[in-house]
Amino acid sequence: MCSCSKEKNIYRPIETEVLDVITESSTIKTLKLKPKEELTFETGQFIELTIPGVGEAPFTPSSRPAVRDTMDVSIMKVGKVTDVVHQLKKGDIVGLRGPYGVGYPLDTFKGKEVLVFGGGVGLAPLRSLMYALFDRINDFKKIYFRYGAKTPDDIIYKELVKEWSGRSDLDFRITVDKGDDKWTGHVGLVTTILDDMKLDFNTAIAVVCGPPIMMKFGTFKLLELGFKESNIYLSMEKNMSCGLGKCGHCRIGTYYACKDGPVFTYDKIKGFHDIWK
Amino acid sequence: MDMKYITIENLAQLLEDLKEDYRVFTPVKKGDQRFYKEYTELTDDVVIGEVRAFEPLKAFFSRAREVVAEGFTPQVPHEGDKPFAVVGVKACDLKGFKVQDHVFLDNDYKDPSYAKPREENLIISADCTCAIDTCFCTAVGIKPYPTEDFDLNLSEIEGGFLAEIGSEKGQAIVDKCSALFQDGSDQFVSRRDKIREEVAKEVDANIKENDVPDQSRLKGAVEKNFDSDIWSDEAKTCVECGACTIICPTCHCFFLYDQKNEEKMNRLRIWDSCMLKHYARVAGGENPRPELWTRLRNRFEKKFDFFPKIADIYACTGCGRCISACPAKIDIRKVLKRLVDNV
Repeated sequence: MCSCSKEKNIYRPIETEVLDVITESSTIKTLKLKPKEELTFETGQFIELTIPGVGEAPFTPSSRPAVRDTMDVSIMKVGKVTDVVHQLKKGDIVGLRGPYGVGYPLDTFKGKEVLVFGGGVGLAPLRSLMYALFDRINDFKKIYFRYGAKTPDDIIYKELVKEWSGRSDLDFRITVDKGDDKWTGHVGLVTTILDDMKLDFNTAIAVVCGPPIMMKFGTFKLLELGFKESNIYLSMEKNMSCGLGKCGHCRIGTYYACKDGPVFTYDKIKGFHDIWK
Repeated sequence: MDMKYITIENLAQLLEDLKEDYRVFTPVKKGDQRFYKEYTELTDDVVIGEVRAFEPLKAFFSRAREVVAEGFTPQVPHEGDKPFAVVGVKACDLKGFKVQDHVFLDNDYKDPSYAKPREENLIISADCTCAIDTCFCTAVGIKPYPTEDFDLNLSEIEGGFLAEIGSEKGQAIVDKCSALFQDGSDQFVSRRDKIREEVAKEVDANIKENDVPDQSRLKGAVEKNFDSDIWSDEAKTCVECGACTIICPTCHCFFLYDQKNEEKMNRLRIWDSCMLKHYARVAGGENPRPELWTRLRNRFEKKFDFFPKIADIYACTGCGRCISACPAKIDIRKVLKRLVDNV
């Protein structure tokens, strides 16, 4: 008979303390989490967050991957699990599984121009990428940041975004679909703030993360500009549940988003049907 | 190949002996169906041969509902104190292992809730001794008799069974109960082969009558018909019950959910079905397959496009269960025929 002690339980969450809860906007909160066992991630990978007794949901950490003992996860209130997430307080206990999937291959970005291209809450995972890029900024030819939100209120990490806007080593532009009385910046869809970039499109990398509609038209715009399909990295966050390539829910063509992604280059998935749905 | 022979009386004794280490299940006939039932004695309704049981074999390896984690504790919860000995398993169900093993025993994440029963359960399979009208295994590359993935295989010969040993576990059983077995003569083997040939012919005739395409014609059939009207036409009568996937020996999808009582939190998994509306829906409400016909297409895509591409196998065993289970009379054979004819 088997020796059960050697088995690794792939469905078990690691007990995790909520160290802090930060309100980012009316619908987004960031949890600062401290797992009681080692759980680190590479930028682009995701975790499954358990609310004990309620359920699990997938999120991509938004913190600096080099910080190994805690992680931040920014969460929009959209459903059963996230409703409860928004009621969490400092000191509460949650669970974490992961990390899952394949992260952004930063080593292959070396010596190249890198465009970080986000929309709405898509900035959450991109924040972790930005931290990771800044940690080794001399490896890259130049970093471009282009981001759009529906309204100024929908821009998350406002302080941080302001800080980035002043960095001399970052080519920075943001936009909103609809401004307000105080907004003095650009107004227009996120696809309208890309034309000023003078890039070597043979090698330039674009990393895209945002709502499906932004991903779709953003990708078309990047292709039109001249980016190569194999240099456009898309975060295809489907209905990931087990994180292990078993439960079946997040299949895209011949891949599982949880295991083979969630980041795919456009050339790998463009042949599949309904990828933007 | 090591061949043994066991009389029907000795088989009864073998099953009795197995009860010590296993919970023994055999198919039992009720009406014109066969259902797995825990074995007590070799009564007349126990059928070793005939055709596959109503329930798919996967039910002995991943339960329809089971606890997979308890709170934050690292132990793997396992139900029951004894593994199963499943008797009378047919070749179509064994083919299901090709898919289930690929999913649950992969090197990256071996699933302990599946791996333990897979390692410990005993499979005493059996040749089909007839075919029913929904059988079409030979169209999807298998024969109506087991050739692999069993511990012991029984081929019914007058008065007893020819027993083929298929694993070390099977060998150990035969060694332990050696008094119950005698050597299987060549004469028995040629008699067995003749029966096998006859049953395979019966399935072939079935396939011809129902015009079921051979799997050699299936390559690209789903892909080329992606935008075809066949899907919406076939889905017209579907009532979204999910029976076709629940009863399929290859379908493996599951749903994880958490439950809490006063003391502890449990993580459970239940079988899920890609035919159900909210299967792929994400938390924000977006659903990549809101229409029923797109989910029917997805089911065929998974079986006849995804698995051949990633694991070189068609995820269909020709068992015909989905045909019998469907209240809307959606027939996988007819759908496949329409697909290959429309290429």
